[in-house]
Amino acid sequence: MIFSTLEHILTHISFSIVSIVITIHLITFLVDEIVKLYDSSEKGIIVTFFCITGLLVTRWISSGHFPLSDLYESLIFLSWSFSLIHIIPYFKKNILILSKIMGPSAIFTQGFATSGILTEIHQSGILVPALQSEWLIMHVSMMILGYAALLCGSLLSVALLVITFRKNRKLFYKSNGLLNESFFLGENVLENTSFFSAKNYYRSQLIQQLDYWSYWVISLGFTFLTIGILSGAVWANEAWGSYWNWDPKETWAFITWIVFAIYLHTRTHRNLRGANSAIVASIGFLIIWICYFGVNLLGIGLHSYGSFPSTFN
Amino acid sequence: METLKISSRILHVQNKILPLNIKPYPLIHNSRILGFYSNKRRTFSYTVTCKLNTVKGKKPSKGKTVLGSDGAAPPVVEVEERSVGRKVEEPPKSSGVGFGIFKKLPRKVLGVLSNLPLAIAEMFAVAALMALGTFIDQGEAPDYYFQKFPEDHPPLGFFTWRWVLTLGFDHMFSSPVFLGTLAFLGASLMACTYTTQIPLVKVARRWSFLQSAETIRKLEYVDTLPRASVKDLGVILMGDGYEVFLKGPTLFAFKGLAGRFAPIGVHLSLLLVMSGGTLSAAGSFRGAVTVPQGLNFVVGDVLAPSGFLSTPSDAFSTEVHVNRFSMDYYDSGEVLQFHTDLSLFDLDGKEVMRKTISVNDPLRYGGITIYQTDWSISALQVLKDDEGPFNLAMAPLQLNGGDKKLFGTFLPLGDDNSLNVKGVSMLARDLQSVILYDKEGKFAGINGTKIVIEDAIGSSGLDLKTDPGVPVVYAGFGALMLTTCISYLSHTQLWALQDGTSVVIGGKTNRAKGEFPDTINCLLDQVPELVESSSPKEPDTHSGV
Repeated sequence: MIFSTLEHILTHISFSIVSIVITIHLITFLVDEIVKLYDSSEKGIIVTFFCITGLLVTRWISSGHFPLSDLYESLIFLSWSFSLIHIIPYFKKNILILSKIMGPSAIFTQGFATSGILTEIHQSGILVPALQSEWLIMHVSMMILGYAALLCGSLLSVALLVITFRKNRKLFYKSNGLLNESFFLGENVLENTSFFSAKNYYRSQLIQQLDYWSYWVISLGFTFLTIGILSGAVWANEAWGSYWNWDPKETWAFITWIVFAIYLHTRTHRNLRGANSAIVASIGFLIIWICYFGVNLLGIGLHSYGSFPSTFN
Repeated sequence: METLKISSRILHVQNKILPLNIKPYPLIHNSRILGFYSNKRRTFSYTVTCKLNTVKGKKPSKGKTVLGSDGAAPPVVEVEERSVGRKVEEPPKSSGVGFGIFKKLPRKVLGVLSNLPLAIAEMFAVAALMALGTFIDQGEAPDYYFQKFPEDHPPLGFFTWRWVLTLGFDHMFSSPVFLGTLAFLGASLMACTYTTQIPLVKVARRWSFLQSAETIRKLEYVDTLPRASVKDLGVILMGDGYEVFLKGPTLFAFKGLAGRFAPIGVHLSLLLVMSGGTLSAAGSFRGAVTVPQGLNFVVGDVLAPSGFLSTPSDAFSTEVHVNRFSMDYYDSGEVLQFHTDLSLFDLDGKEVMRKTISVNDPLRYGGITIYQTDWSISALQVLKDDEGPFNLAMAPLQLNGGDKKLFGTFLPLGDDNSLNVKGVSMLARDLQSVILYDKEGKFAGINGTKIVIEDAIGSSGLDLKTDPGVPVVYAGFGALMLTTCISYLSHTQLWALQDGTSVVIGGKTNRAKGEFPDTINCLLDQVPELVESSSPKEPDTHSGV
């Protein structure tokens, strides 16, 4: 009883903090940059991280198994991973772009996880025989960390694409404001030609940064995904009798892996770098969602225990 | 060694600062300058290389002959950039013209295969085929596809069952199209590893000094330290784990070479996984059996070969006895775990192994693995009016949807010869709950007959397999995990040149480009600024070997 109350409290705290953080981000994005607010948003994310950690630990203690056995838990874990990825660069200083992407991602998963659709499975259930293995922790946590990192990286790539191809550049300044505050002063003199060159300079710098960080995060996620898939294969060889069964979820995880492998390869090729690789990463974004949700939605194959409850269908 | 000692002072200094990494283990670099004379042989070997380097600097033609046909070393930058995907285009110098087509054709094929856009296209093709394989239901009877992909209203307007069946998309993951694409991708992988990546090793293992400030300034990261000594820089870089090479006024340092080599490891381990998978497909045996508790089976009867390389082993004559099958339950009645107690007997009837297996805990014996995968109820032992016990065989009942199971049997009551047979239907969900129904389908109230269900006998569903590919695949997995992680390291190279009192520094890295300037700036901040006439003191600190 006390566990479920605690769980409730933690869920609500983390959710509201993330919403506040998003609001702050929106304010800095649309209105003006307020350094103090910005700092507090950074702290907010850290608090969220600890809240979700607490939530997961509570669930672990109350259910007695690692809290990654169904969709709700995996979503909570996903938003935990988002906040984790968010605070790693915080400790390494710089990187403002990442937080802009991670915050909203965290709130969406968190919101979805706690929303009404999935209320039925908030109760932690039992662990089916096939899941009772030490591999559960390794496989699922690695997969979800990988998903989180890859989602984040591909979102950065989407942002890169948007900035590269946008005609209306006005909004761009504001997103760029963090790179250079004085830049806002120039907004009044839009027609100034020298200003255009400065604008292009910051634009290209932003694109470069986005490109670099999306690459950084995607390579990290790719490593996690590789470890996740391989540990899953080893586990499958223990539980199902074969290390590869061409189960839909496995297949889609493999497709995700291949798409991001393509991304990493396009980056090594001079002609394919930049926008092309960003397009590949954006495709990867869709594919992760198919892999993570689409397959569960259908509830087919050997991975069906992660699927939506039958009431939802 | 003696001959080298006579060389100039520059070479002498260089001997001292050049550390211990001529051997292909460049990552062992904990030692500072002090440590490297510990091994005489090593010192010797690197001095030789130093000599080659100096020679190369002066007489390029001679250097080439010594080092082999791998082109001149200095423009490392260019070679590396070119080598990604296009290295093949360089005409092979060593191959004579005389051999003609025998030598050229494979090279052309290699060149085509190792083309990066082609490899990317192949990867996309594999991904698309796999996606298609999950959209089309696999392994159904042809009739299913006639209905699902009819000729008059095909999905997408053209995708009829003819496509599906002709291309083998009803069993996508063993279809020739898919396997062919995969093999093609494997060939590309091999070609790329051979023509692009392996030469990269040769290039990256060599170090090269950049002699002019101009070349250094062309690098991604450039900085100039006024009034600094390149030797100080070398010491500081060494402290940060760099491998430092110093020759006169020029310096070359690198770090994280493993990050450069790891992608090769990734490719090789992928090839290992692929070959292991092929071995699995060609050389394994599989089989499934459902054995009631208390019965035996012979391993060899269950296993069926899956490929042309499958050869049975001695262990196939082993007899397996199911001592006991049991299920654990949660308090809520859900199944917690299945257990099967198995005994293995060899030909002489001697018990060679006994183990209780469960899901996630298979039995392994002589290359054979026995998995707990399924279960059913084979019989109910029933006492009727204290007669018996009778064994009533249970049959699985069809349930629409869900993975719950239900088994049923029927116990006739009363006159056996009458046409209208009365009796009790018994349904069992698992081994602990049995429900009885009478003819009308009401919950059983049986008049006058006493029925005691003594026991429910379960059958254990076992999967058996032998798979010679598993060790290979696992080796590949391990290597893949390791190399993917190592790939995340950055390979950083730095060049510096003493230009009067100032030092020009240039560097590049292959991954952490964002942080690279910051980290290097941090390092450069530590380089002491030279105050006038402090130079005589400097060599002492270094040559305290």
